[in-house]
Amino acid sequence: MNATLGVDAGSRDVKFAMIGPDGVILKHTIDTVQFYIKCRGDNRRVDLKKLEAESGACGYERIVATGYGRNNVEIDNCSVIPEIMAHAKGAVYQTGLADFTLVDLGGQDTKVISVKNGTVDDFVMNDKCAAGSGRYLENIANTLGVSMDRLSECEDDPLVMSNTCAIFGESEVVGLVSDGEPLERILAGANRTVVMRLLPMLGKFRNDTIVTTGGVAKNRAIRAMMARETGARVIAPEAPQLNGAIGCCMS
Amino acid sequence: MKRVGITTTIPSEIIFAAGFVPVDLNNIFVTDLKRSSYIQDAEVAGFPRTICGWIKGMYSACLDHGIGRVVAVTQGDCSNTHVLMEIFRMRDVETIPFNFPFGRDSEMMARSLKLLMDYFAVDEFQTEKWRVKLNRIRAKLHEIDRMTWEDDKVTGEENHLLLVSSSDFESDPARFESKLDRFIKEAASREPMDHPVRLGQIGIPPIVEGLHSFTESFGARVVYNEVPRQFAMPSGGETLVEQYLLYTYPYDVGPRLDDIAEQIRLRKIDGIVHYVQSFCHRQMEDLIFRERLGVPILTIEGDTPRELDARTKIRIESFIRMILDRKEAVL
Repeated sequence: MNATLGVDAGSRDVKFAMIGPDGVILKHTIDTVQFYIKCRGDNRRVDLKKLEAESGACGYERIVATGYGRNNVEIDNCSVIPEIMAHAKGAVYQTGLADFTLVDLGGQDTKVISVKNGTVDDFVMNDKCAAGSGRYLENIANTLGVSMDRLSECEDDPLVMSNTCAIFGESEVVGLVSDGEPLERILAGANRTVVMRLLPMLGKFRNDTIVTTGGVAKNRAIRAMMARETGARVIAPEAPQLNGAIGCCMS
Repeated sequence: MKRVGITTTIPSEIIFAAGFVPVDLNNIFVTDLKRSSYIQDAEVAGFPRTICGWIKGMYSACLDHGIGRVVAVTQGDCSNTHVLMEIFRMRDVETIPFNFPFGRDSEMMARSLKLLMDYFAVDEFQTEKWRVKLNRIRAKLHEIDRMTWEDDKVTGEENHLLLVSSSDFESDPARFESKLDRFIKEAASREPMDHPVRLGQIGIPPIVEGLHSFTESFGARVVYNEVPRQFAMPSGGETLVEQYLLYTYPYDVGPRLDDIAEQIRLRKIDGIVHYVQSFCHRQMEDLIFRERLGVPILTIEGDTPRELDARTKIRIESFIRMILDRKEAVL
């Protein structure tokens, strides 16, 4: 017992983590739309039985939630913490570090958080635009018909691409293909675009160590480019996408 | 009463002295139930999407409210106003330019004021009488401001709404003064509020709704609204020239920084919320504030008049929580 269920209700996925005295007991991810369809009960409340059936969670003592969805659907006896705090706590738990810059690259959001002595010292978030986000990379990969895994390996000789609009980015890569540019260079260019978008935010909190979380943290090329541009060591914890849910368990 | 639209705070003493009534186009735009459609109307008329919402709102509100004459600030506020003036002229709205001289030069300011006085056919004596009258009302706004941060009896939103109205005195100074008198009396009888986090809001008045009240639901209160306070001319001045040179908003950022830093210290402010408008050149000032003010700063951006969106709420909530955690760590 004494386990905590953490729920990170994100824009793409709802992530679950359950942590007890001996560490992480459960990790699970559900598509956000499916979660709302399957788990929503009466009066905007989540049906806990359905939630447990979907996530596999049971035997927990408390639930802590974060993410955009947390205010849309109510969960009984659930405490709520801001995303920034959840991600910082999750990264501290997963890495064992206390001083670093945390870069959470999600589906729509980019959060850069300065963590000092294990707590949030300051943070910035991207402006209202999906350019340079995970969704941007997904769009590019889909447009070019390649997997995210293949995209993640493309680092060398990137083409310079616009970073102003996620939608126009798609037509830009189509133009580059028609110009005969090599696919690997276009994919590297898309990765570079994300890093270029990130650098002004990273510049605010210089640190020797950058921890990356969120789906984009799985992109090896982006991590390598980030390390090269900043001179910092870039670490991705074991479960970058579940970091917010893990942080909920730590609050 | 003949109405004169204004695009931001100007020496309204001159307008009143001439027997006209100033109408702040920003205020009639953002308080109108049609505020969202005003933006759409302007875009349908041809204003680009990537232009400040305040400009588009002022354009539509001016035409919709049938205001045929506008004093437009062409130096010291926003360069978009230049073209807005030209578009107003095409729509048969008479426009009168007013400049806050960039170098804060008193001779140039005297000339700007003289040009406006000449246009409205009033002299310094008539204007001075109105300055004294309006400063009496401004003193009541200063008292409300003091009751906000020192007595803790006025909310950030009340402070904002009353102080921001001093650009045009709600087009009726006598009625506005009575409203302030009633407010001061009522607020004085309140119990002091006790929020663990004290915030300041700097930058132009937010176009988004609910910023102040949202902070209060998370244990914080805005005790300083930088620009609305400046609209109420807190630094006084012995003459009209001096008064509008001490007003910090339309000049270089230096005096604004000094003013903000002093108020942070005086009002024991824990953090600053810097509001920036989408597509506004003043967004660049964020860099300066972040380098020069020694308190945490949260920058939020708005584009059209609507309730705070989920993203902005998450940012504000996290910002307040971060300050609370810091304060607890110190204790």
